[in-house]
Order: sequence, then structure tokens, then C-alpha cells
Amino acid sequence: MANPYLVVDNLTKVYERGQVLALRDLSFSVAKGEFLVVIGLSGSGKSTLLRCINRLIEPTRGRIWLDGTDVTRLSPARMRRVRRKIGMIFQQFNLVDRSTAIGNVLTGRLGYLPGWRALLGWFPKADREKALANLERVGLRDKAYVRVDQLSGGQRQRVGIARALMQDPDLLLADEPVSALDPATSHSVMQYLEQMNRQDGVTVIASLHFLSLARRYGTRIIALKDGQLVFDGPPTAIDNAKFKEIYGEDAEEVEVR
Amino acid sequence: MTGYPEGFVSPRPAWTTGRGLWEAVARRADRAGRYLAPFLLDVAGLAAFWILATYTYAWYVLGATAYLLVPWWVLLLGVVEGAIVWESFGRSWGQKVVGRELASGSGRPTASERLRYFVLWHAFGLTGIGFVTVPPLHERLSGLALARERPSSLAPVPWYRTSAGLFTAAFLGVTMAAALGVTLTWESVVRLFTQAGQSLDFWRALVRPDTSILLEAGRDMIVTVFMAVLATLFAVVVAVPLSFLAARNLMRGPIGRPIYTAVRGAMSIARSIEPIVWAIIFLVWVTALRSPFAGILALWVHSIADLVKLYAERLEAIDQGPIEAITATGAGRLSVLRYAIVPQIVNPYISFTLYRWDINIRMATVVGLVGGGGIGQRLINYIWGVQYRQAGMVMILIVLLVWAIDYLSARLRAKLA
Repeated sequence: MANPYLVVDNLTKVYERGQVLALRDLSFSVAKGEFLVVIGLSGSGKSTLLRCINRLIEPTRGRIWLDGTDVTRLSPARMRRVRRKIGMIFQQFNLVDRSTAIGNVLTGRLGYLPGWRALLGWFPKADREKALANLERVGLRDKAYVRVDQLSGGQRQRVGIARALMQDPDLLLADEPVSALDPATSHSVMQYLEQMNRQDGVTVIASLHFLSLARRYGTRIIALKDGQLVFDGPPTAIDNAKFKEIYGEDAEEVEVR
Repeated sequence: MTGYPEGFVSPRPAWTTGRGLWEAVARRADRAGRYLAPFLLDVAGLAAFWILATYTYAWYVLGATAYLLVPWWVLLLGVVEGAIVWESFGRSWGQKVVGRELASGSGRPTASERLRYFVLWHAFGLTGIGFVTVPPLHERLSGLALARERPSSLAPVPWYRTSAGLFTAAFLGVTMAAALGVTLTWESVVRLFTQAGQSLDFWRALVRPDTSILLEAGRDMIVTVFMAVLATLFAVVVAVPLSFLAARNLMRGPIGRPIYTAVRGAMSIARSIEPIVWAIIFLVWVTALRSPFAGILALWVHSIADLVKLYAERLEAIDQGPIEAITATGAGRLSVLRYAIVPQIVNPYISFTLYRWDINIRMATVVGLVGGGGIGQRLINYIWGVQYRQAGMVMILIVLLVWAIDYLSARLRAKLA
């Protein structure tokens, strides 16, 4: 790999309470434009890994380079500037329920707005138009002024995607984006991620539960088990033996169609 | 992966930093507390039982009031020794409450193990020496541990076959007997009926209220409503910022936690003093000036304490998800507050404020009784002056006002939910 976009080097995370070792000396790198899928059982460290990359969680040891910058060493102010270019979507959507769809989408611009304008809620006209355009893109133009607690799960996740799009991200972190959705909706949401990856050239790192989804959308898969890397390769390389190694002897593969 | 520096710096051991050391001490104290909790509960329980039992015995048998019947140090020695015996040789009430039981490595503790534990408790537990290690020394040396209750496949033992169950029953019985002895004398029950006629004048006046004072009383009522509004409004101004300092989830770390504890402590003290007491304090403070000002101050202080608690508990229950999401967009701290926290708390805060305003209307009347101004002060003046017809008018007005405000605040709050 000539010029890795993201390098994770010996990343370790220890949670103080109960001394849980969430990640152990994890190292891998990601090239620009990849669609990397992280798989593994619940508690294998997927969420912790994604949150270490944008430092929602502080790593205990190790380094993370993003586009040549060591993000683990950045001051809070400089970290915020880096975060502007990292979109993130969540399993539970993490929207502000009492706010409208467009209100939620606009918060994606907060990193670009001077503090006083943010406090007054005075978003530039260009941002508002961009928000409507992004809602249009995820097929929710007509729901722009509806409170998000009135929306369905799939619609709410699409609001989350529109919020991430507002950031003009170079990297998208998706923490189990479809785990709370039914299979049909899952594919619709995954297709938006695929579109961002292919059309806008956004590097995507998504953690997924279903191997079938990982195979369908990922250009590369890494697998975690107890915070350690147990697989790194193309989707086609996961055979039955590898599957049992990642998920345990008793696991059966479930298809999502 | 060339071009990137290799390796990582290994962190300092936790106990070499001030914070790490502090946390280690705190953790140890916490664990010692957990080992001590059943003992302290037993001591307190036995002491309370003795006091109540003595009181009951003295009241019914000796016909006197007594609480100890033995020197205080005899009681102390007795209950401490009693607690240790109970915990060593049985399943004590305190152990049951915290959900722990004595267990040995092989299962049920033997009599000799229990005896060893009993003796070691005196040497190490009572002196406190044992708690330098976790688990404490007396546990290590006796081979017994105060372990978490294990789920048992056996049918539960009925309460009347356990010492803790019998103790609880005896405690309740003695409490009941003591309470009956204090409050209920036959004489007073009889008086409730035979002297009902004394209040007849009052009831009679109440149904023939004096409407001529309607205008003056109405003016005082406006004063009362204003007292409540002003006290609530000023309380909100102070309580909103304080509530952030009193929210456990926002105040973390070595600086945040002490602030949290201080604010919460001050608020619970202020709240435990009733508004009527605050009113008396402020009446003295503002040079015994009989005016609504003292009443407003009293309601203000109590409202702050109450609102901070309500607000902070709402803050502690907020969904962390939006905070995470908005932080991830690269927004600053104030933006996170404005866009992730504030939307979640605005309506509940307004709702709590309305609720408190509703309480303050009623409290403003009570505060008036001690001279805090408004309708309450008018009421008490009429009652002392035996002007029962006027007092009756005022009481009717108060009922109407409270009912109206109650209804209004409930409707508004329902809208906010």
C-alpha cells in the first residue's frame, strides 16, 4: 500500500472500570476510497475502534494517523477541525428527537460555523439549501419540517446520513448503521453508504453484524475478536472455517436478503 | 508503513500520579464500606430496637418515659457485641439487607470456622486494622468471606424460621406499640367528639362569609400571586446554571465531582428547611419588616433548592446519543450544549417551573401566616382577631385561587409533555 489514508498502529484501549481490555495492539491501514467493513461479535471492540478514530473515546495507547496527521496527539481545538471531515452515523441514529429533520441535518454544519452564529442558530442560506438538497438526496425532502420522533427507523437513519453529508466528509464512520432496522430497510440504508463511497469518493468504515451484508457492500473486511484482529482480507476470503473462528464454534451464518 | 514513527510510550503506573493515588484510596474506602455496611446496619438496627423496646416497656409497665434503662456505654457494648455474634453465627439482618452471606471456600461454614471469624472480628474488624487489605484480614485468616448471596435451588426459608425475619417482625411490633403509647390516649379520642361544639362558631362563620372585604382581600391575593411569580422567576435564573453543576453525568473528574457534591449538599440542606422557617429567618434578617419581601426571599431560596434537584435529575437522564453525534461533527462545547442538551431539557424545565410556581402559590399563603405578606397574613390576622366571617371569606378565595392555578398549571404541563 503506497499511501495509506488511515493507519491504526498498536491501538489499545483499556476501560478503567473493571479493567476491560477493549482493544489489544490493533494495527491495520486503510487506503483512500475503500469500503472497509468491521465484523465481530458484540463486545469485540468494533464500536470502541470507530470511536477511537474520531476520538469520541480516548485511546489508552497507540497511534492513529489520518491523512498523515497523528490524531491521537491533537489538541481539542485541532481535533474538532479534523472531526469536521469525519462523518459518523450510529446504530441508534443519535438524532435530537424534539428537533425537525432539517434541524438535525443542519447540525452537520456546526463545525464550520463561528461559535456565536451557532448559538443563535443563524445558519447561512447556503447551508439551509444544502440541507434541503441532502434531504432530497436521501429521499426525505417532504419530511424536512417533520419532527424526527415522527419518522420511522429507516427514515431516521437517512436523516443521520444527510447530517453526515453536510460535513462534506472524507471519511465516514458507520457504527452498526443497520442493526436497528429490518432487512429491506437495511439494504436501502447500505446503498446510500455505497453511493457516498463510489460517487463522492468517501472512505467508509462500517461495523456490521451480518456477514452477508459485509460481503455485499465491503471492498475489504477486517474481523475483531476480543479486541484483536483475527482477519483482514477481501470479502471472498471468509470461508466457513474462518467464520467459525470469528464467531465461535456454535455460530450459524444468517442471510440478509 | 514507513515514514511513521514506531511504537508507543508506555504510560506511568496509575499510583504514581496524584489522581491515581486518590482513586486507589477511594476504591479501598469504598470496598471497606461495603464490608462494614452490614455491621453498621446491625448495630443501628439493634440499638433502635433496644430504645423502642425500652420505651414501650417503661410506658406500659412502669408508667414512665425512659429510653435506655442502662448506661449508654452498656447499650453500645451490647449492640456491638450482639451484632458480631449475630453476623458470625447466623445470618444477620444487615447481611440480608446488603445481600451478602458468610461463605467458606468449601460451602457452608463450620462451627469452628465461625468461632475463628468471631474472635478475629474483635481483633481486626473492631480495631480497623483488618481493613488495610482487601478483602480484610479477618476474612483472609478465618477462611470465611462475606460473599454475595448465591442463588440457591432450595426453597426459600420462611421468614419466621430466620433470625432476620423474626427481628424485623419484633421491630415492627415494638414500633407499633410505642407509637400507640405516645399518640393515642383514650382521653384525646373522646375529646375529638365531645368538644366538636367548640369549633362550631368557626364553621358557622365560614358558611356566612363577609363579602364586604372582597376588594381588600382580592388585592392581597394579587400580592400573593406576585410573590409566587417573582420567587419562581428569580429562582429559575439561579437554578438553571446551578443545575448543570449538580448533574452527576456532566460533573466528572477531580474538579467536577467536588463541585457536584458541594452544590447537591447545599441544595439538600436548603430544601430540608421548610419555606415557613426560611420566612422567619428572612423576617429577622430584613429587620422584622412585615412585608412580602421576606416571603419572596423565603420562597425563592426553597424554590432554587427544589428546582436544582428536579432540573439536575432531568439532566442526568438525558440521552447521550445526540451529544456523541454532535461532538462527532466537530462542533465546539457550547454548540454541543445548545444543540444536543438544551433541546432535550427545555420542555421538562418549563414543566418543572410551572409545577413549582403552582406550589409557590400555596406556599405563599403559608409563608404569609408568619408575616410574610399577602393573603396568608390577612387570614391569620382575622383568625387571631376572632373575625371568623372575614376569615371564612379569605379561605374561600384561597380555595378558588389554588384550584384555578392548579388547573391552569396542569393543562399547560400536559401540553408540554
